[in-house]
Amino acid sequence: MSRNLVELVRRQHTVQAPTALQVLKAAMDARGEITDEDRRLAAEASGLPEAAVYGVSTFYDDLRAPRGRRHIRVCTGTACWAATADAHVDSVRDGLGLTLGERSEDGSVSLAETVCLGFCHSSPAIRDGDRIDAGPGAVERLLGGTTADAAEPEWISVLEEPVLTRPGDWSGLARALAELEPEQLLAEVKDANARGRGGAGFPAGQKWEFTRASPGEQKFIVANGDEGDPGSYIDKYLIERNPMLLLEGMALAGYAVGAEHGFVLVRSEYPHSKPILEAAAAQARELGWLGEDIAGSGFDFDVTVLEGGGSYVVGEETALLACVEGLRGTVSARPPFPAQKGLFGMPTVVNNTETLINVPFIARNGAPAYRDLSPGGSPGTKLICFNERFARPGVYEVRFGTSMRELCEDLAGGLIDGHEIKALQIGGPLGGILPASRLDVGFDFDALKAEGCMVGHGGIVAFDERTDIRALARHLLRFGAHESCGKCFPCRIGLTRAYEMFGAEQPVERARLEPLLETLELASLCAHGSGMPAPIRSLVAHFPDELGLI
Amino acid sequence: MQVTIDGNSVEVSSETTVLEAIRSLGGDVPTLCFDQRQAPFGACRVCLVGVEGAPGPIPACTTPCRDGMTIDTEDATARRVVKAVVELVLSELPDPPAEHTELAVVARGLGVGEPRWTGRRHEVRHDQRHPYLAFQHELCISCGRCVRACDEVQGAFALTATGRGFDANVAAGLDAGFRNSTCVSCGACADTCPTDAIIEITLLQMSDVP
Repeated sequence: MSRNLVELVRRQHTVQAPTALQVLKAAMDARGEITDEDRRLAAEASGLPEAAVYGVSTFYDDLRAPRGRRHIRVCTGTACWAATADAHVDSVRDGLGLTLGERSEDGSVSLAETVCLGFCHSSPAIRDGDRIDAGPGAVERLLGGTTADAAEPEWISVLEEPVLTRPGDWSGLARALAELEPEQLLAEVKDANARGRGGAGFPAGQKWEFTRASPGEQKFIVANGDEGDPGSYIDKYLIERNPMLLLEGMALAGYAVGAEHGFVLVRSEYPHSKPILEAAAAQARELGWLGEDIAGSGFDFDVTVLEGGGSYVVGEETALLACVEGLRGTVSARPPFPAQKGLFGMPTVVNNTETLINVPFIARNGAPAYRDLSPGGSPGTKLICFNERFARPGVYEVRFGTSMRELCEDLAGGLIDGHEIKALQIGGPLGGILPASRLDVGFDFDALKAEGCMVGHGGIVAFDERTDIRALARHLLRFGAHESCGKCFPCRIGLTRAYEMFGAEQPVERARLEPLLETLELASLCAHGSGMPAPIRSLVAHFPDELGLI
Repeated sequence: MQVTIDGNSVEVSSETTVLEAIRSLGGDVPTLCFDQRQAPFGACRVCLVGVEGAPGPIPACTTPCRDGMTIDTEDATARRVVKAVVELVLSELPDPPAEHTELAVVARGLGVGEPRWTGRRHEVRHDQRHPYLAFQHELCISCGRCVRACDEVQGAFALTATGRGFDANVAAGLDAGFRNSTCVSCGACADTCPTDAIIEITLLQMSDVP
């Protein structure tokens, strides 16, 4: 995408035109397919050139597969894979007589795959229209026409006084507006050393400081709710169960850096997130916590909620901004960083939603109290979640530094039905894989890094003793290749080649695998291409024989 | 500020990219997605160079110079990785690129032979509906130069990147050919294309392409 296109979008935004992505999504929802006429209308409404609209319509998963009157999406995420090794996908495909991405000739039913529905606690998950069914019997209910809403477990905090699972009450913003200058709030967040919770672990205070210092007519806060990690449903929980705390965190970020508007991008795979968050924003406006002159302080702040279109890489911050602008969700080279030139070319804070919900505690209680939350570990607390293989799957708020064994065995109760952990994938598809023999490592940024793993976004997916390691490598690389945005050459081609190596029947030659992984790691533009080798390297290190390496 | 490139020092401004600094000294590194008439894009990763103290190679085209930077254009890791990237690019084409193309020149310069990785290749798809411009989609390597030429240089916005991942490509308008788009037949896309995916029709007629 070029700078001219971004400027074009900025001008359209100032006249409140809808984005091309929004118009195309609405067309898909209304008619189940996108025609050239829809693209022309989207170009007219959004002010984008027709070619650019065409490019958008070929990028997002939600815009590509035609939909029948009944549209079924089967989850191919890693938790569902860990549960069935994709048997549920085959059953649905055979039962409906459709391939993935196909619509029946009479238009009555269509089938697509989706990664992931965020019901990793009760796999396999299947979406029938906007209803999500999951767990044992989901396939049979779908085929029998009796799909039911799957239950979601409560989230649990191990802290006596929860930080992230405490319902937002705007007390942090109230204190900040009454007692702290923006610079003081910024200093407090920096002093708290809150690290980004989206995967990269970058200190939030530093991002804010850069944004505050960057010149710009306007500044923006963008909350990254595009938690695409297969096997993670943390953002889903925090957005749908604690929307006020997220809005409060965004308002605090706006106050600290001098922004009056925020955007939240939520996933379309979570159909309830946008309406829940919009209802919370409307309530916050009624209460006077969003809007003009909040609590008589003279500070104005409001929030717009947007929904993505089905793309994992849109979780990368520059791609996220492109998606908010309604453009193709491809990655841009940094610098310039979003703090310098972000949304519509203006200085922008992009924080993960979980990072932002840490801020109200800091604003209310100060940095020292925040740093004390995890004695001996990284500051603050962390939300983690477990997949269906565990006896007590769900979202938990925990302290940093707790050992993986305690988390998996004491908190999540070990695996169901007497199964044993063969390996864990921690922190998403770019996270390394920890074999069962290494469970005593602490859950923390540096400790996990030493094991070739990462905190990432906090999703913990267990693979039991029956898991075919080569099939796991294939599953991960299929996802990686499918989700590559196609911008940089190493990722665009290299992930497909890596998938092909493990997809073939032949043994994988180390002499060809190693330089391919190195090229992905060192040459890719973003963490998708450079991170996908991490789990493969773990498998090479811990399960070389099962991988079929020569 | 001052940077050192392969042992030679040069004064640069803070706006200067590493690639500009290298070229200002008469040196060079290969590029595929870079065209000096356009904003740097950072897609091909063929301009990677070594920088002292950096954890890995950095792209010269999108990295601004920092005072005291020590740049090695012959860094062994960077050269090894760049060669692999070009191999990957060759592996997606149904046939080797024509010898005169920028891609072929870069591949020869790096001594790239048969790709070590093979698999799916681009599907052959030709569009010759325009009287002056022909499009051979299978030769497209998604460098984005034609899209940016159309947008940043010509201001016609007739081209777009399409698809994603391995299926990424380029289309004019609503993918119904140049004639059914806002194309003004300026030829800037063909001029910048490093693989002959877009070519002026007279040149096409002179070549052996069907």
